[in-house]
Amino acid sequence: MIENILTYIIFLPLVTAVVLGLVRANLTLLRVGAIGSSLATLGLVLYTLSLFDPEKAMQFTLSKTWIQNAGITYNIGLDYLSLVILLLISILMPLLYVYMLKESRKGYWYNMMLLQTGVTGAVLALDLILFYLFWETMLLPIFVMIGKYGSGMKQYNSMKIVLMTVLGSMSMLFSILYIGYMYFETHGVWSFALFDLATIEFDARTSIWLTAGFLLAFAIKIPLVGFHTWMAPAYGSAPTPAVVIMSAIMAKLGVYGIWRFGYTLFDNTLVYYEPILIVLALIGLIYYAIRAITEDDLRRQFAYSSGSHLSLIALGIFLGNIYAWGGSLYFIATHAIASAGMFLIIGLTYHRFRTLKIIELGGIAQGAPIFTFFFAFFALSIAGVPGTGGFVGELLIIIGAFKESFIIGVFTATTMLSAMVYIFWMLQRTLFGSAKNLCEFKDLNKKEIMMLTPLVILLLVTGIAPSLFMPLFEPGLLGALR
Amino acid sequence: MIQELFFILPMLTVLAGAMSLMLLSHKKSISLKNFNFIALFFLLSATVFEFFALSNEESFYLFNSIFGHSFIIDKFATIFDIMFTLGATLTLLVNSDYFKSRSYFSGEYFSLILFSVFGMMMLAHAHELVTAFISLEIASLSVYALVGFHKTKRVSSEAMMKYLILGSLTGAFFMLGTALIYGAVGSTSLDAISLYVNSTPVKEMSLLIVGASFIMVTIMFKIGAVPFHSWILDVYHGAPYPITMFMASTFKIAIFAIALRLYLVNFTSINYIWTEMLQVITILTLLGGSWLAISQTLVKRMLAGSSIVHSGYLLIGISSLGLGSDMAAPAIMFYLLAYFLSAVGAFGILSFIASQSRQQMSYNDFKGFAVRRPYMALMMSIFMLSLAGFPSTIGFLGKFYIFTAAIESGQILLAGLGIMTAFISVYYYFKLIAMMYFYPEIGDVKILPINISTVIIALMALAVIWGGIGTSLIPFIPGADSFIDLAKEAIDSLQ
Repeated sequence: MIENILTYIIFLPLVTAVVLGLVRANLTLLRVGAIGSSLATLGLVLYTLSLFDPEKAMQFTLSKTWIQNAGITYNIGLDYLSLVILLLISILMPLLYVYMLKESRKGYWYNMMLLQTGVTGAVLALDLILFYLFWETMLLPIFVMIGKYGSGMKQYNSMKIVLMTVLGSMSMLFSILYIGYMYFETHGVWSFALFDLATIEFDARTSIWLTAGFLLAFAIKIPLVGFHTWMAPAYGSAPTPAVVIMSAIMAKLGVYGIWRFGYTLFDNTLVYYEPILIVLALIGLIYYAIRAITEDDLRRQFAYSSGSHLSLIALGIFLGNIYAWGGSLYFIATHAIASAGMFLIIGLTYHRFRTLKIIELGGIAQGAPIFTFFFAFFALSIAGVPGTGGFVGELLIIIGAFKESFIIGVFTATTMLSAMVYIFWMLQRTLFGSAKNLCEFKDLNKKEIMMLTPLVILLLVTGIAPSLFMPLFEPGLLGALR
Repeated sequence: MIQELFFILPMLTVLAGAMSLMLLSHKKSISLKNFNFIALFFLLSATVFEFFALSNEESFYLFNSIFGHSFIIDKFATIFDIMFTLGATLTLLVNSDYFKSRSYFSGEYFSLILFSVFGMMMLAHAHELVTAFISLEIASLSVYALVGFHKTKRVSSEAMMKYLILGSLTGAFFMLGTALIYGAVGSTSLDAISLYVNSTPVKEMSLLIVGASFIMVTIMFKIGAVPFHSWILDVYHGAPYPITMFMASTFKIAIFAIALRLYLVNFTSINYIWTEMLQVITILTLLGGSWLAISQTLVKRMLAGSSIVHSGYLLIGISSLGLGSDMAAPAIMFYLLAYFLSAVGAFGILSFIASQSRQQMSYNDFKGFAVRRPYMALMMSIFMLSLAGFPSTIGFLGKFYIFTAAIESGQILLAGLGIMTAFISVYYYFKLIAMMYFYPEIGDVKILPINISTVIIALMALAVIWGGIGTSLIPFIPGADSFIDLAKEAIDSLQ
């Protein structure tokens, strides 16, 4: 049981989906099955958490031969880094199902289950080909969800996100194949297992090219500035659950990829890329913030806000000291929760007003106080108001940046300022003032409050008592930095 | 003698099938369904004999006293035989609906398919250039006739003329090459050629090199490599679906059978001479094929264009062979299998649709297809993903082996270009998926009829997935791995 627990966590949603598809489940059964599988996964993840030992590096590892001739293995494992994202996925999924409870299109539910398997697998995979498989697989449900259930220029935007992401993953595939061959050359056998490949000594020139292959994939996924043209259209067209997953999980997987694969395979080469990446991240930080200020559509605005904060997270990783890394990891978790909450409530806004244009909204606070509370809370926690989890993460990254250099520190600190600018301005225009939208709207109902409350609690707890969580990953981080 | 008869049994069975179908074909009392059944019976029994022959570990010449060294029996040829007969079987099964819907099919059609398979089997066994030429022509002539089978349709006749004239022209190149090689070696037997190649300094065998290059022209033409590709789109478009399918998959495998034999055995020591030429052709094929595939509006023509790109991937494998990659030859065989499954599946769905609606399917006609036929759309998506080389399908593993072989042989840039064209191919394959799923339905909803075509297509979709995931994880069921092992054995059996 214990050695297979990660396998169950990965494949439970997929197996549920396949079984439900084979019996041609009706909508009720489908709902029950999907929610059941996500709750069961959550249970398994929490059980794993209780067994997790922060002092050890890689745990629950499982390695089996998969495709023998090519040395591809089914190799999975869990450490502090994957644990954080795994927890996020399994907490968010049931909440998303609650959000889409009324959804009657069956494909929606199947896609969500497939998506969960894809992202979970990508987080846990330790074999490069296996990682590539999940990395590509998680794109398919997103492609379908944007193109089929999205809005606006959905077909165009879904093709755009697929083509750009596949360009990145193809370049990564090239690097993976080349590294696999280098292992074959030195050891005489094929292997794509991460910890086998980490033993290879690269010469500088090849290593720079190979790193570029990986970085392109991750930079597009994050997205770093310059690789971001898919972001706003895709976020704008996608249905809410897909946006939540893209912003809260998939973008983080780009960071995760650099962390896990970049630093394990090419720690020396990344030093060479660091100045470029830090500058890109800083530009992104400020550029996305400015774009967010100018956007008049809520979803696009928070797409850019998400880009800005992901640049901050990426910056924290490239800085490479304990404050910045700790801050990045903490911010990965808290930003995921906050942005999930934000995009969910934006989805609810759309349900009520049928528009997301800021100019067409306003005066919500008079009619819907609970709605206003949640809206403002998530927006402020994205801005990083003290007392919410985002503040802790941002602060740590900024401290790390100042430790690195004064100038980087100053630029990094502007993120708090700029976020305040667009958040407060947006809040003022959407929630307060006079109503510009004549439609009848209701306050949050019980189901919606139930869906959002866990996120609020998590944000408050992470914001007020970070010492509860730090011990989970601090030993791992210190070990990794050494 | 008796033992040798046993090994020739598959070929004889197919030949007997072809003959008897030809003799029966004038009878109006036999329905098309029964003709199909007879053809399938002969093909399947040939397949069964081949599986028995597979246990044979040694290579020997067939009826040495009569034919000399013209025919060889080895594992390599037997495995290709299995691929031909299974390929033809699947083609016939998948199209059983299509035959019903078109009035121009008759008994000769099945006879010609079997003759063509017979020619391909001879080609795989051929160990002498003139024999190879005759086998190739037997296979090709049948296909020429098949392409123009719809006699009253203009596109079909045009395709036939195009293919016939260009094909005969390049066939002449084969003959000329053989003559030149004969001039150099004094024999057309592959043994003698090997001996000559290995014992003569390179500078003195320019005649042989020119001759072999001529033979290469024929091979490149048949697989549709780019400077020789101009026929592909029109012929694939004009031919009836079953023939397009047959040409794109089974016939291509046959060409690679002879190409691999020549390249691996006879010209091993000098195949570096062609490497650069092959690399240039590969680059042109990959880019040109992608260009053609992108710019099509009819799905059938897009698949034709993309079959050029797939030939390009296979050519990457061939040029890796020349640079001494061990992986390359099994990789090519695996890729052929992967492409075969995915392409026959995709063409099969097209032909199934055509059998119901009698229209040329363009991208736009696929709008709302997922609502009309959810299962068909799902299977089509699986085949598209496999053709695009998406992981968890057999197409990914095929590309994986080809690209690692290219990297192994030091052709980094070519592998990079291959990956780049795979990226481009995502566009035109995903476009079809987007058309099927992302647009509202126009016509009425039809329930998927369960009949032999759809069942076979569904099985092939499963095979595509199974080939991609599978796997040594689950005991007792052979995965994609075992085919690679088989291919390696086949390559080792070549002498």
